[in-house]
Amino acid sequence: MIDPRAESSPSDPRSEGLAADRQRVLILGVGNLLLSDEGFGVHAAQRLERESWPPHVRVVEGGTDGFHLMNVITDCDRLIVIDCIKGGGAPGTLYRFDREDAPAGRLPALTSAHQVGMLEVLELQSLIGAVPRTTFIGVEPESIEMGLQLSPRIAARLPRVGALVRELLGLERDATRDA
Amino acid sequence: MSQRITIDPVTRIEGHLKIEIEVENGKVKDAWSSGTMARGFEALLQGRDPRDAPFVTSRFCGVCYSVHQYCSCRALDEAFGATVPWGGTLLRNLAMGAMYIYDHILHFYQLSALDYIDIMAIAKYDGKDPALQAVKEKVVALVQAGDTSPFTPRYQPDDWCVRDPETVTTAVKHYIDALQINAKARNMGAIFGGRTPHYQSLVVGGCTQYPDINMVAKYRTMLDEIAAFVRDVYIPDVLHFGTGPLWPLAEMGLGGGHHRYLSYGSFEKDPAGTNLVFKPGVVRKLNLGGYEVESLDAGKITESVEHAWYRAAAPQHPYDGEQVFDLDRSGAYSFIKAPRYDGQAYEVGPLARTIVAQHPKLLELVQQGARPGVVARHAARALETQAMVDACYHWLDLLTREMTRSDFRIHDTAHWDPPESGQGAGFFEAPRGALGHWIRIENGEIANYQAVVPSTWNASPRDEKGVRGQYEEALIGAPIPDPENPINAVRIIRSFDPCLACAIHLIDPQTNQLRRFVVE
Repeated sequence: MIDPRAESSPSDPRSEGLAADRQRVLILGVGNLLLSDEGFGVHAAQRLERESWPPHVRVVEGGTDGFHLMNVITDCDRLIVIDCIKGGGAPGTLYRFDREDAPAGRLPALTSAHQVGMLEVLELQSLIGAVPRTTFIGVEPESIEMGLQLSPRIAARLPRVGALVRELLGLERDATRDA
Repeated sequence: MSQRITIDPVTRIEGHLKIEIEVENGKVKDAWSSGTMARGFEALLQGRDPRDAPFVTSRFCGVCYSVHQYCSCRALDEAFGATVPWGGTLLRNLAMGAMYIYDHILHFYQLSALDYIDIMAIAKYDGKDPALQAVKEKVVALVQAGDTSPFTPRYQPDDWCVRDPETVTTAVKHYIDALQINAKARNMGAIFGGRTPHYQSLVVGGCTQYPDINMVAKYRTMLDEIAAFVRDVYIPDVLHFGTGPLWPLAEMGLGGGHHRYLSYGSFEKDPAGTNLVFKPGVVRKLNLGGYEVESLDAGKITESVEHAWYRAAAPQHPYDGEQVFDLDRSGAYSFIKAPRYDGQAYEVGPLARTIVAQHPKLLELVQQGARPGVVARHAARALETQAMVDACYHWLDLLTREMTRSDFRIHDTAHWDPPESGQGAGFFEAPRGALGHWIRIENGEIANYQAVVPSTWNASPRDEKGVRGQYEEALIGAPIPDPENPINAVRIIRSFDPCLACAIHLIDPQTNQLRRFVVE
């Protein structure tokens, strides 16, 4: 497997920006819309879908099941996943890390009856082709109780996520939106 | 002396499904199936515009999302008095047919096959087939890199596992091929579903997106490739394993259960809806020499809460069902209610449908000595996949013809607005089995909404008469020679394709390491 970090550091937007227009970029928001902050990625994607992006960037709202995303992941070179992440920080804390640094380390065995997570699906992806270089952006939830709305404090983080994505891709702020 | 074993979680998402078994003299003596996560998403729908229901219910589950959307549309069709034009039905069926195909293939290869093979046998493959050599290299490389999670077995291979290196390597090659076919089938579903995941074009009264001839051609090209995989790989694999190395499990009827089967019926092949891909019916008593299929009466469906964490109530029809939790309820051990038909526990899903349909191939296997159970469930799924592939071709042909008509329509636009009051029921045979949605509308808003999902039928706890649910009954008598390695119990539960996913998805590494990656 190629170590993507050997090519450039994801924390350096300029090095990403160089090759950016030649890569097929996928911004994928995942989570469950019915469990309040668990749906953060979905809300984020729905918001980003309304912004303007260069032609090589696609925004997809991916719901919850990893297997359902294999067809979209197959079609990209660079993947940014927006998710809800329990990292022990204060609610609203934003995290960013590359797949290789995912703190789960060695992932738990695939014991799923059906549902698999993003990390597992990326590993499965390696069996059928190249795994896109992947960065996770996540928010620490305040509530994952049943509900269709984000907690106000978490909703307030949405604009910042858009900015982080653009920063990662070396893109200017979306001019069509005053966020 | 008996010993209690807990298998938790059977599904990866912690807290969904817990199975407890009591093992005595190497066999399961008793079993309890618990859904350990509260459901009740239905409450989110109360007071909303009824037309939101298909989209909200499609989020009930990250796995079988479109089945809820479709079923909800059917409940609304009835409540709104909408008549879906034949063109709309064809589009709905083609979107749902694609879903069926990838769901069954995924279940067999990605979710079940590894319970039946000793994956480590790959390292011993020394044949000359370059494709198999490549698979060996790939898997060995993953193992060396430590990235074995897709393949790591949770339980040790037992005497029933296949260990022949060539068979195992071939199976893993097909596992990898199936991943690719799966991605294709999802793209195929998106053609008429509008997008994937979470179809967008299915609404009350029909569909929103008119097809053009390019879409039809694209669907057909993808279907051709998928059909070849089903015909040349999937069906032969299931037959090879089922009548070969796994024949002892088939003869033993491992995981049989109550032997009562129910199907709502689904997928119209003609505008009148008289000819269905899956027939409706009820088999009250299975006699392998010949049995009767009764017609289904949906009015006989009730849900018991005797052993579930809900407020005490007599068994109720879903129109009147409520979701009031009572966590102190004595004797309760599950968040799943116990659906019953005419007071009895039934199996739903591929095996139930195939038995209700009296599928000749299944009856042939039974004549050779196979007993309904784990192996028959996998065989039934494969037979259904073939039936669905055939049906998709049939619908494509009909759609092509329908599209040339001057009055081609896909939506009943006259019934788009919700009625002031009304009620409707939607039924569907989802891949996992009988799914029902019930809606009651008052003042143009949703007054009550209930979904009875397939895994609720199969994974239910005991009812008010103390009768076990189908998972529980299916486990009774299963050989567990080593209590540390209850692989047969897992095979049984997984053969039902359990899905109680209300989809908690969050990445939870259970460490504080993520703090290092804090942005702000």
